[in-house]
Amino acid sequence: MSGADVATMTLLTVRVGLVSTVASAPLAIGLGYALARREFRGRALVQAAVALPMVLPPVGVGLGLLLLLSRDGVLGSLLARAGIAVPFTWWAAALAAAVVGFPLFVRACEQAFAETDRRYDALSRTLGLPAASTFLRVTLPLARRGVLYGALLAFTRGLGEFGATAIVAGILPGRTETLALGIWSRVQAGDDRAALVLCAVSFALALVSLVAAEGWLRRRGRPPEDS
Amino acid sequence: MRETRLRLEGRVGAFALDVDAVFQERVAVIVGPSGSGKSTLLAAILGLEPRLRGAVCIAGEWLEDTARGLRLAPERRRLGWVPQAPTLFPHLDVAGNVRFGLRRGGDAGERLLARAIDVLELEPLLARPVESLSGGEAQRVALARALASAPRALLLDEPLASLDVPLRARSLAHLLRVRDELDLPMLWVTHDPDEAMCAGERALVFDRGRVVATGPPRDVLWSRAVAPLADALGVENVLEATVEGELGSGDARASSHRARTRGGLALVLPGALAPGETLRLGLRAEEILLAADPPGRISARNVFAATVEACEEDGDRTLVRIVAERERLVAKLTPGAARSLGLAPGVGVHAVVKAQALRRLA
Repeated sequence: MSGADVATMTLLTVRVGLVSTVASAPLAIGLGYALARREFRGRALVQAAVALPMVLPPVGVGLGLLLLLSRDGVLGSLLARAGIAVPFTWWAAALAAAVVGFPLFVRACEQAFAETDRRYDALSRTLGLPAASTFLRVTLPLARRGVLYGALLAFTRGLGEFGATAIVAGILPGRTETLALGIWSRVQAGDDRAALVLCAVSFALALVSLVAAEGWLRRRGRPPEDS
Repeated sequence: MRETRLRLEGRVGAFALDVDAVFQERVAVIVGPSGSGKSTLLAAILGLEPRLRGAVCIAGEWLEDTARGLRLAPERRRLGWVPQAPTLFPHLDVAGNVRFGLRRGGDAGERLLARAIDVLELEPLLARPVESLSGGEAQRVALARALASAPRALLLDEPLASLDVPLRARSLAHLLRVRDELDLPMLWVTHDPDEAMCAGERALVFDRGRVVATGPPRDVLWSRAVAPLADALGVENVLEATVEGELGSGDARASSHRARTRGGLALVLPGALAPGETLRLGLRAEEILLAADPPGRISARNVFAATVEACEEDGDRTLVRIVAERERLVAKLTPGAARSLGLAPGVGVHAVVKAQALRRLA
């Protein structure tokens, strides 16, 4: 295993983590907001469905995604007509990471929105901002700490994602082999040294992102300096 | 000033709110005990309370009339709301909060804001972080933000309730300047009759979701309809007086001043005051003593002749309305005391008020 291999795997892992988090953010934030602020029919059902990927075995989630996205699957057949094949690409790895991280993301957003005072939204409306601008300029900024925390949870969960990714994206070196998959294949090949090196990189990556995010949250959360 | 109409009804929590009021005055106070539904009524006027429906017309402009299918969204009502604390957006600084109002206010908002910064003495606050403001300062910023949105009217929700007593006089003075210098219709909610008498041209007395009395504050807050609420509200006299000069006592620390009320009544006031200064004074109805004969040597500094205008007996108290010079006051006596003095309309009495009982409101 060369240094270039390690770099490729690391970059792929980061890319999968970032893309999955950013792409799932609008849906996670929207669902979190709806669950926190709106009363609607089937709320309990939505809540259960959102939590599902957390309680199912990741391998099962991967299998479900594969069935959905395969050439004969409901979604896969539609995509195939457009010439798009998702399984066994890094997009599939990103999708798997997004799905397993989603419950954490939504939950954190829901809590963040539940904790922000609705009176600020009301004030913003009376000052002339319609509901959508109020959400972007008041509600979301006030909930930002919780939302960012949810994004961090989803991102770090995605970094270590193995079961679902292995099924739906395969372990294709240089294409879908993230750090977690790389560790598995090195162990399978009996190369414990390489596996340990990748473990160390995974560890460092997770640590760096947690520390960076904590630091950022703390800086943003602190009241501005008194001049 | 054109007509304001409020006709709103609906069920909110413990009681049914049912309001039907029409008035012409520019500044109206909604007075009522805590929990009587005042804030809910404001929310309905603002379009924020889906449980209440009906008709809302502020100074001649219709914002809601469900019978005609009119119900403007809150962002289209152009009402400047100053809610009870917390009032400022915590994710913005003071300047950011004020500018928030300008989004809608535009040029008209800029002009109003410039006046507000002057009247409310906001200049030194603009660079401060929101967390460092006191309750009164935050309220002034919230008022400026509301004005920056170029509202058609101001809605104040208990603007002094969250402030410490020493701060109230200063804040009330600021609010009265806004009232007098910016020509905007105002709806001013309070549970405090002092504030109501100072603030409004029209009082709507509110109890458990209903307007129980309406009219000029001085008449309404002493009326029979309000008697059951008198204890919850604390009935007060409010006098506006101008300081005329110092009474020579030879000792600066123990100085007192002569003052004359708008109704021509001469008073002695304690404390350090500047001649020419105009004050609003609160005097509780039970702090006025009435004597049939002129009292002899007495510690009370204010003794003046008055004529009884009316006596209203209500359970364990009698409200005696008196006129001294052109100043109308109300005193609260036990029914026995009122009878033993033979108080009746037209009877002459001597009113006795300690200088210390005249509390400065603003």
